[in-house]
Amino acid sequence: MSDAVIRAEGLTRSFSMGTTTVQALRGIDLTIERGEYVAIMGPSGSGKSTLMNLIGCLDTPTDGQYHLNGTAVAQLAEHELARIRNKEIGFVFQSFNLLARATALRNVELPLIYGGIGPKERRERAAEALREVDLDDRMDHRPNELSGGQRQRVSIARALVTKPALLLADEPTGNLDSKTSHEIMALFQRLHESGNTMVVVTHEREIADHTRRVVTIRDGLVASDQLNDAPSSSGTA
Amino acid sequence: MNVIEATRLAVESIWVNRLRSFLTLLGVIIGIASIVSTYAVIEGLNKYVEEKLSNLGSGVFTVQRFGIITNRQQFLDAIRRNRPLRREDAYAVRERCTSAASVAWQVRSTADLKRGANELLSVEVSGITPGILEIEPYDVADGRILMPFEDQRSVPVAFIGNDVAERLFPGVDPIGKRLRIKGTPVRIVGVAEKKGSFLGFSQDNFVKIPYSLHRKLYGTTRSLRISVQAKSSSSMDDAMDEVRAVLRARHHLRPGEEDDFDILTSAGINDLWRGMTKTIFAIAIFVVGISLVVGGVVIMNIMLVSVIERTREIGVRKAVGARQRDIVQQFLIESIMLSCIGGAIGVAIAFGAAALLSEYTPLPAQFPTWAPWGAFLVCTCIGVFFGIHPAKRAAKLDPIEALRTE
Repeated sequence: MSDAVIRAEGLTRSFSMGTTTVQALRGIDLTIERGEYVAIMGPSGSGKSTLMNLIGCLDTPTDGQYHLNGTAVAQLAEHELARIRNKEIGFVFQSFNLLARATALRNVELPLIYGGIGPKERRERAAEALREVDLDDRMDHRPNELSGGQRQRVSIARALVTKPALLLADEPTGNLDSKTSHEIMALFQRLHESGNTMVVVTHEREIADHTRRVVTIRDGLVASDQLNDAPSSSGTA
Repeated sequence: MNVIEATRLAVESIWVNRLRSFLTLLGVIIGIASIVSTYAVIEGLNKYVEEKLSNLGSGVFTVQRFGIITNRQQFLDAIRRNRPLRREDAYAVRERCTSAASVAWQVRSTADLKRGANELLSVEVSGITPGILEIEPYDVADGRILMPFEDQRSVPVAFIGNDVAERLFPGVDPIGKRLRIKGTPVRIVGVAEKKGSFLGFSQDNFVKIPYSLHRKLYGTTRSLRISVQAKSSSSMDDAMDEVRAVLRARHHLRPGEEDDFDILTSAGINDLWRGMTKTIFAIAIFVVGISLVVGGVVIMNIMLVSVIERTREIGVRKAVGARQRDIVQQFLIESIMLSCIGGAIGVAIAFGAAALLSEYTPLPAQFPTWAPWGAFLVCTCIGVFFGIHPAKRAAKLDPIEALRTE
């Protein structure tokens, strides 16, 4: 319990849409231990995106408790949340979200810039992160000079570079063809094996099957939480 | 994020949109360029006026029928009220002003001068008492100035300006040569050092002859200009009071009546001039201020556009840990830098304009050394003032919304 990366108790989140209030999350309890590899599944409108935003500290819950790596984040101020996002979380987005004008290396350096790391160390760590995703020969390329899979690997490197407590991926293969998807999932497998705590938000069963545990959200509640004892092999990318 | 990183980002972003950035900056460029060059011209004129136009020595003032007239009503009043100053007035001043070290006078007319094939139009021919050349010193290039006895005996001699020497006596030493003025041959005894031109008017286009000779040639109707050198600069006020008393008595003015003559001092001319240019500059500042405000609004507009274009980028930055103040800093530095680039271009243009103006036009222009710093300060203020709103808007973007934007 003390080693939980995520410990959420009774998380609710409601949005007021004009006169009506929409309850996106209605009391989520979820604990994810260090080193776990979890998929959060659910159809659109289930509340899984809202949950991901809360887990990722992009948003704060209306009610409930949320501890990320031991820190209670539910009541934090904006600049404290920014620090948590910087130090504890690595985001991987569906549409990569790289800065178009910056090289791969600069993109990966970005979190370190906001973390206040000096230029030299920044460069070294960014290069190392790119090496981890096998892109050490593409460091000086801009996103438009890279393939979709390569772009996603740059964004994974950017997520890894701060050595965060949690790697949070939102539909990481949504914009990729199946072969490239496979490669990315193989990379995730490798990152999991080297000890990273990973949460993948997806609506694709096939992607969820790669993980070790599948949490299904429906109507703002946890509908099922199952261990996946026979994860599909991610091949050898 | 530190300032160096933010600056680097700003440079990148301005450079990527360089045409747009440049167009954005036109308002600031024009504003800064015009304010600095206006100031340069006014400063140049001020310097010039100080050095050349009011070159009365210290403790010197002049008395004349009309002072500096700045509007029509003044002109009409002066025409009606002021009487010409006569030789007898000058004598009275010389005899009865005990605080004056010396009193001299001159009277002016113009003439077209001819010598062989060379002709010079509208030459200022003034009759002077030789003291004038000491009170309003002329540097002698060649020969000598006029002597007191030449005035006493109406000797037909002349002290001429550089233009007259060069144009009527090209390649010839004019000393000892003769000039015909109103049919009378006049012998040249001295040539003045070149003074140059002011606002396109030559200051060297003159012939000075003894006052008594001028009287013979041109008659007695012209009003005199009397120059008085006080014994010391501290006794100048006494001397002015004495002159006023003498002239008012001679002109039979009752107490309470206005003077029917005018007294000018070097300081007075300068004050008047500076007052005028101050007004010009104030108007210029106002007009240019409008263009700077417009320039600032344009910068604000382009920054707002930039925030919208980069919404997603802002979302990414926030997701990886940028705080609101990091985003504010980034956009604020960009707007300040934009504005300062505009200012720098404006200052450079003004610098060039000042150099060109002094080189190719009669306007003397003096580029003010504070201009780069002043422009930097003003542009920083513009950048902050008009950049803070877009920057705050960027910082307040909800990262979830921002990441969802296409």
